[in-house]
Amino acid sequence: MPQSNFKTVYISLLMALIFLLVPWSGFALKARPDFLLLVIIFWLIRAPNLCNVGTAWLAGLIADLVTGGIFGQYALAYTVTAFFAVVYQRRLVLFNHTQQLLYVFILLLISQFTLLVLKVMAGAEVWGWSYFLPSLTGILLWRLAVLLGLNTGGRARGT
Amino acid sequence: MALGFNQKLEQQQEPAFFVRGPSPFARLVFFSALSLALIATDSRLQYLSNIRQHLVAMLHPLQVIANAPSQLYHDVTDYFSTQSRLVNENKQLRQQALEHSVALQQLNTLALENNHLRDLLKTNQALAETSVLGEVMYVGRDLFRKKIIVNRGTQHQIIAGQAVIDATGVIGQITRVFPYSSEVTLITDKSLAIPVQIERNGLRAIAFGRGRDNTLDIPYLPANVDIKTGDKLVTSGIDGIYPTGLAVATVTKITATPDSAYARITCTPTGGIENHRHVLIVSMPIRNEDPSLEAEIDLTTPAASTKKEGNKTNKKTAAKPTIKPTKPNAAE
Repeated sequence: MPQSNFKTVYISLLMALIFLLVPWSGFALKARPDFLLLVIIFWLIRAPNLCNVGTAWLAGLIADLVTGGIFGQYALAYTVTAFFAVVYQRRLVLFNHTQQLLYVFILLLISQFTLLVLKVMAGAEVWGWSYFLPSLTGILLWRLAVLLGLNTGGRARGT
Repeated sequence: MALGFNQKLEQQQEPAFFVRGPSPFARLVFFSALSLALIATDSRLQYLSNIRQHLVAMLHPLQVIANAPSQLYHDVTDYFSTQSRLVNENKQLRQQALEHSVALQQLNTLALENNHLRDLLKTNQALAETSVLGEVMYVGRDLFRKKIIVNRGTQHQIIAGQAVIDATGVIGQITRVFPYSSEVTLITDKSLAIPVQIERNGLRAIAFGRGRDNTLDIPYLPANVDIKTGDKLVTSGIDGIYPTGLAVATVTKITATPDSAYARITCTPTGGIENHRHVLIVSMPIRNEDPSLEAEIDLTTPAASTKKEGNKTNKKTAAKPTIKPTKPNAAE
């Protein structure tokens, strides 16, 4: 297994940020997966010694900056998600691909739900189930990455 | 209780040789508290807007990198646009220019005549607006808001509060300015209100964005007021933000509900709210009028405020007094 170090973690986060900054519009914007959160979840599972709840919080803060919303919304959503990812990290590593995919889906939903609650409290309107589309595209992307040979298990699994 | 949960976690899944600093739960509590503090600070106080400006300026290089592919695509399509299309477009533009120049000549005479009349009436001269051309960098990423980001900022003398228009009508207003970009809140955003008047009879009203679909509402007009579907709404100019007479929206639906004294009026914006790449950022000239008049005008800038409730009271109390001072401006 190649040694994952701080550099790879931060470079991948930077790449995710650039993907987030791409000028998406229309349907693509609505269906765009949360690249930053996916990368965070990946590193939380893969290298919990390098990436923890604090990293997720920082990434969330940058996501807040990028979306132009009130500071702290994405930060809180990412923090909560990261907590659930870290708590079950040992189990996640041992899951098979399908189980893991399901759990990642739940994590993405947790993040979106937290965000929704915060936005609604700030006076935003809910516009229906299509709001949760990014979670779906998120796990599709995750699955694609696994198919392309990304090892989403930790050290415990060889494949 | 928090401590109890903490200990349980430690016992169950933290063997002594995996020491990782504070437990995840402790981190969760700490960072959540920090986030909530940030939310409270940012939504209630103004401290963070300055910090945000600097951070966005730092992100600018990354934004340029991320924009590069689409920029390249536009450049390439521009480069390879066919001869015939260019010729056609050229012809069209020439015709348009001719039509406009005729209109412009009339406008010049009218402006002269208007100035003479203003001289006779001893009223203030209407001043010309200044404008900056901007290009849309990207659509706002927050799906709950209607915003676009344009590539002009404090470096190009843009200030918050300026109006943004395109060839067909008003699009929105600058709400945040960064060094190299600025954020435009569209008129369809829920938090934006725009003072309008009906072109046909000069009736003043305030239109609010719906937020969800691309429409505007006029919530506070009585049910018996003279308004029809198809009426054109133009900016009234009494807010001191939007220049007078710009097209804003067309009335599409009027429903009178028995349980309320107000009609529900829905309008669709005239401007290409979500499909143009170039926009014009215009600012009203600073007028040298007597301060009492200025103060009243200030009251009627609901476009700059963010709360609907505040506007409701503002409009009722302040819209009336300003009708008189601005009367000479209207071309009645």
